[in-house]
Amino acid sequence: MAATPWESDLVQQLKEQFGESLLEASSYVGQNFIIAKPDVVTSLIEYLKFEADFDYLVDLTAVDWPKRAERFDLVYILYSFARNERIRIKTRIPEGYRPASVVRAHRTANWLEREIFDMFGIEFEGHPDLRRILMPEDWQGHPLRKDYTVLQQDDRWVHENLGIEKGQ
Amino acid sequence: MMPPLLRKVLLVDLFEGLRVTFRSQNPKNIYTEQYPAERPKVAERYRGAPRLMKDENGKTICNACGACALACPEQLIVVGSIRNPETKKKELTTYTFDLSRCMFCGMCQDACPSDAIKLTQDFELATYSREGLIWDRQMLEDGPKPKQYKC
Amino acid sequence: MPEATFLDSTELVLNMGPQHPSTHGVLRVILKLDGEKVLGTDCVVGYLHRGIEKIAENRTWAQFNPYVDRFDYVAAVSNGLAYCLAVEKLLNAEVPPRAQAVRVILTELNRIGSHLLWLGTHALDIGAITPVFYTFREREESLKILEKYCGARLTTHAFRIGGLQFETYDGFEKDVLAFCDLFLPKVDEYEELLTNNRIWIGRLQNVGILTGEECKEYGVTGPVLRAAGVKWDIRKAMPYSGYEKYDFEIPIRANGDTYDRYIVRMQEMRQSVRIIRQAVEGLPAGPILGRVAKVLKPPVGEAYVSIEAPKGELGFYVVSDGGPQPYRVRVRPPSFINLQALDRMVRGMLIADVVAVIGTLDIVLGEVDR
Repeated sequence: MAATPWESDLVQQLKEQFGESLLEASSYVGQNFIIAKPDVVTSLIEYLKFEADFDYLVDLTAVDWPKRAERFDLVYILYSFARNERIRIKTRIPEGYRPASVVRAHRTANWLEREIFDMFGIEFEGHPDLRRILMPEDWQGHPLRKDYTVLQQDDRWVHENLGIEKGQ
Repeated sequence: MMPPLLRKVLLVDLFEGLRVTFRSQNPKNIYTEQYPAERPKVAERYRGAPRLMKDENGKTICNACGACALACPEQLIVVGSIRNPETKKKELTTYTFDLSRCMFCGMCQDACPSDAIKLTQDFELATYSREGLIWDRQMLEDGPKPKQYKC
Repeated sequence: MPEATFLDSTELVLNMGPQHPSTHGVLRVILKLDGEKVLGTDCVVGYLHRGIEKIAENRTWAQFNPYVDRFDYVAAVSNGLAYCLAVEKLLNAEVPPRAQAVRVILTELNRIGSHLLWLGTHALDIGAITPVFYTFREREESLKILEKYCGARLTTHAFRIGGLQFETYDGFEKDVLAFCDLFLPKVDEYEELLTNNRIWIGRLQNVGILTGEECKEYGVTGPVLRAAGVKWDIRKAMPYSGYEKYDFEIPIRANGDTYDRYIVRMQEMRQSVRIIRQAVEGLPAGPILGRVAKVLKPPVGEAYVSIEAPKGELGFYVVSDGGPQPYRVRVRPPSFINLQALDRMVRGMLIADVVAVIGTLDIVLGEVDR
């Protein structure tokens, strides 16, 4: 990605606070983002909320890059009402890693993390109620992963609950 | 203006609402269209039933380029063609359009370079069976003819 | 999750099932009740999950455009606008000013349509059966304009990446201005029916209060946030598609209850008419489609663009890997995130208030479940 480095007071502050854990701070098509190490993300988000006024978690999502060693890309998008600025925090996690939940800092993350668990299988440590939200409770498989094809379904669930042979 | 207590006791706010309702009882304000007696006139650009267009001699305009099949998000168009050995151009043989999966988005109409496929203004497309919705070239050129009952 | 109740407990678990006339779609709410007072709720969503985000990974960028209308199917044009803006950001494409103005006109027309549908169905849930007929009659006029422009009323597919497909038809400006002239007195009519009505006030005031701080914590946006006193609208904060040229106000109220949200949405409809009139008067001439390639292949990268949809902040996070198909399209659904606040809003209220609060959040299940 042709990203340009992003320099600002905020980045200076964060570099002083988090040092080596902040891997990159760049900007692409005018949108600023920070790549950080996974274990420091929760404290980074809490720092941004309490010290830098980023009090609104806009979105929390994940992207699956199956060919990479660190398979998933967790993306947090934060917005500050006072500064009118949006910032993206990205972190790369391998499969099986359990990132810490940000529910205590932002209550929006409750259902957003449930959705990531449902669609990708990433479990969050410290989430009060981690269960599937969009798929049925006893569905096997995580649909938005790249190895799950578009037409694939949980045949056992379809057979038990709908009484038909196959869903297609 | 009436004092608030009198407005409350005499239900003035409720009567103001009722006045609006009674005003629209006037037969001039009736908005219902009596379908199927009066069919709605849909817009010229309405995306309804697909039709394959023919020119004035009755020959089909489609040159079997396959752009509509590539553009369709649901990939439900199948274009069959043979190459004419004399003119070295492709000619259309079969054309299958699966109307049951079509979402009438109009991308086939946008992609066609010769304006051969058009989504027309027919919206009465119901059939009694799933197979009746898979249209072949004949059906696409003639168009749907919904049965009109006397009402 | 509610546990099994014992016979001598005072707590009742009631299912407000997926088939319910007041839940605006297939939403299941499991209520924990003490008599008629609500102690807690649990929303079960996913009955309308169609996997559109997964479908996006198997279509090209332009082919995904018709699917985007199906998220918030009530105001389909806003979804199209958000997606087109996101992909144009990745492509760094320039949208010509005429296309921007027509986009604004259609989006605001759709905002009015969405609020009209909200008003009709919300009033119907509360028990006022007449407004739904009147609001649908006005919505019909706005849908007629959309039909004349792009050919479909609900799933419009009106915008293309880079601009518009269709030039405006002859008489577009006349029709739109006629709609504006017809519509403003009708808003006064709805207000005459409802705003001072004691039944309406009694059902809506002090129901479902959500303060500004709680809104920010839960990530709730849109009219709900503005009714709680926070003056924030993406059209003013981060303008897109030429909104900085138009002069309009952001209605806010202080209390954050259901009645305030009703007032905010009525005012928003009036402001939308104001924007439409300004856009039609200043409609520039020129091309309608910017310079974009036939086969779209945005460079590797990602972007997040959000707009002020009628329901809240609708955002698209698109990731491209350089190919003709999107790598990941994520929709930030306002209704999904607003619905989280339902639990907070109905603690201690009666069941009838649950119905009122679900109505006032203005959720569309197509967006909640995707």
